[in-house]
Amino acid sequence: MKLTTLLTSAAIIAAVMFAGATSASAESTLEIVKKRGHLRCQVGPASPGFYFLDSKGDWQGIDVSVCHAVAAAIFGDPTKLEIQSVSSQARFTSLANGDSDMLSRTATWTMSRDTQLGIDFLTPNFYDGQGFTVRKDSGITNALELKGAKVCVTTGTTTESNLADFSRTHDLNISAVTFEDYNVRDETYLQGGCDAVTADKSALAGNLAAFPVPGDHLILPDTLSKEPLAPAVRHGDNQWADIVRWTEFAMVNAEELGITSANVDDLRANSKNPSIRRVLGVEGNIHEGIGLDKDWAYNIIKLVGNYGEVYEKYIGNGEKAIGIPRAGSANALWTKGGLMYSPPMR
Amino acid sequence: MEYVRTKDVPTRKPPMNESSLLGWLKINLFDTLFSSVLTVLVLTAIFFAVKALWIWGVSDGVWVAETRRECFKISLDGACWAGVFAWLDNIFYGRYPRDELWRVNLGGVLLVIWMLPLWLPRVRGKILVGLSVVALYPFLAGYLFSGGEKGIFMQVMIAAAIVGLAANIANAVTGYFNHGSLSNFIIRKIGKSEAHEKQQRNILLAILLFALAVAFIWQMSWTEENVTWTKWGGLFLTFVISGIGIAAALPGGIFLALGRRSKLPVVRVLSTAFIELFRSVPLITVLFMATTMFPLFVPESFQLNKLVQVIIAVCLFYACYLAETVRAGLQAIPKGQYEGAHTIGLGYWGTMGLIIMPQALKHMIPNIVGTFINLLKSTTLVSVIGLFDILNILRAISKDTPWIGLHKEPLVFGAILFFIICFAMSKYSRHLEAKLATGHRN
Repeated sequence: MKLTTLLTSAAIIAAVMFAGATSASAESTLEIVKKRGHLRCQVGPASPGFYFLDSKGDWQGIDVSVCHAVAAAIFGDPTKLEIQSVSSQARFTSLANGDSDMLSRTATWTMSRDTQLGIDFLTPNFYDGQGFTVRKDSGITNALELKGAKVCVTTGTTTESNLADFSRTHDLNISAVTFEDYNVRDETYLQGGCDAVTADKSALAGNLAAFPVPGDHLILPDTLSKEPLAPAVRHGDNQWADIVRWTEFAMVNAEELGITSANVDDLRANSKNPSIRRVLGVEGNIHEGIGLDKDWAYNIIKLVGNYGEVYEKYIGNGEKAIGIPRAGSANALWTKGGLMYSPPMR
Repeated sequence: MEYVRTKDVPTRKPPMNESSLLGWLKINLFDTLFSSVLTVLVLTAIFFAVKALWIWGVSDGVWVAETRRECFKISLDGACWAGVFAWLDNIFYGRYPRDELWRVNLGGVLLVIWMLPLWLPRVRGKILVGLSVVALYPFLAGYLFSGGEKGIFMQVMIAAAIVGLAANIANAVTGYFNHGSLSNFIIRKIGKSEAHEKQQRNILLAILLFALAVAFIWQMSWTEENVTWTKWGGLFLTFVISGIGIAAALPGGIFLALGRRSKLPVVRVLSTAFIELFRSVPLITVLFMATTMFPLFVPESFQLNKLVQVIIAVCLFYACYLAETVRAGLQAIPKGQYEGAHTIGLGYWGTMGLIIMPQALKHMIPNIVGTFINLLKSTTLVSVIGLFDILNILRAISKDTPWIGLHKEPLVFGAILFFIICFAMSKYSRHLEAKLATGHRN
């Protein structure tokens, strides 16, 4: 008798706790973020140009700017943000268990990740592709000449398997020398331990700039793979996905319309262009469906900048940038032959 | 009485090979042909290693530059220490707001002040000093480091910590200048040393309460800005994790060891299971479990932050290691000691606390300090789960745009820092051993 009462009460307590847990998770991400007062945005353990710490202890980079932009869209304040640096082993778990609200960290959008991990990738904010760096004096000018070469590569990424695929497809018999840390990989390459280095081209460019004599080396024109790097959110909260996706689109759209952080105030007051007026919330009601203030896009552009500005600052030719030219690449605006395209905001 | 000799025989010099440098060299380094060859080989190896290091790090090293590119312009093969210097604040404090760094420094200074009496001669009540550091200092430091709103419990503990610190300093001063312990000193000063013990206690209690009230009112005016734990980092974070780890793991280990040797079957089985479970799993797994799996098991309203999870994981893990160390010490105590304790009427806790533990722990000092050093170094594993401890900060330098690729110099710097800290700990343990050595010397 006593045992049954005990068991029943235990079951009731468990049921109540479970119900509490499920009703709490039914709250939308936007509500949770607003209630918490800041956004939790996940990046990785530092990658030049995309997310890195500066000597003052602040996070910088093009992916960090997406975090800032989302915070600006929600709160009108890009600093209401907690950047979480999570290792790549734990990145998707950390998003799935609710620890992070979103992920913005050079994660490649692949079908298996998008469909199997309970997360949704949004619009790519950087199109990358794998390439090779070789020494100029080796005389190699394209990747098919790497027959029997030793190639340095970091482990645990898609890079390694792409290299194996490439070698097999073209019957090149490339032997991979693997490393955990890309600094050690580059060191080995510089000391002649391998004939070439392979990684995403953006990373290659960043690392090449840091070689003692960058002019002695060359990034081959070949691209081995498609690496669309996109932010991601938890699967199942469409409103939240919309917010992050349209934050990105707002930045691209602003560039297309010529709105920059410098002229946004002027344009909001004086522009006659209806597209600009709609984006900046002067007319129309595009903000209604997304659940944010009228000023959301204005805040993004004013406080963070448009896509082009952010690109130049961290990736292109800015002072803190890693120096990858944008013109002619997939990251140019669609009007200039690139892939950066935003659906109309109307 | 007559001496055969009237003068002392003049003392002869010791044989050449015992006094002069040359003799020492002959005996120790060039004894045989084989050892001469070895000596020359090893000396050459040391010479080239040191020379290469010297050229890389010092004579070709660059100390002042704005970016790594500038370093390369000055010296292509030398070390670029400028990057390490530019990042010093990050290395020591992580992302802690630069205007608030004094809080971390003050916290460190207070800890040193609090611990100092342990080294001073003639100071009374050193055990109390040690206990108060462990029990009260964390609250004061916790508020200093994180700031923000304080609950009523926190306020009381902060007040207690202030009083504890003040009493500790006063006690150290009276003890050092030969006035005995603080309580004796006060009683004597107010001329109550002849009074009844109970009255003396009441007077001291009243003074204590008054001090607590003053401290409570004083601390209410403190309003430090909130600094979330995510901004903690660098050496500071390493010290926070390992400091709490060391302070909590030793008592935890003692209790687990006692539990494992207990006569109560439930306690024994539980302690043994706990110890074996944690010892059979790598620390990195425990850390991953604590940070990524733990949130899945608890309701959302009960979320500990990652730092607390990591600290708990480190404490539990090392408590289990220390439990085995302490148990080894307990095994070494002969049965006669227990029986002796029983014959003078001590109970279980008396026997353990007064007779057995002091001997067991003393024997185990090298092992315990070894585990502490191990703990300090293992805290660098938290970089894997994304906390910016010193190792993660050092590695992040190579990703900062002005210093891209600068990874050797920060790691060398980190190695030097760790060596200094660990060597100091090891030296201190040797000192402690020598100081506590009472007999058992062969």
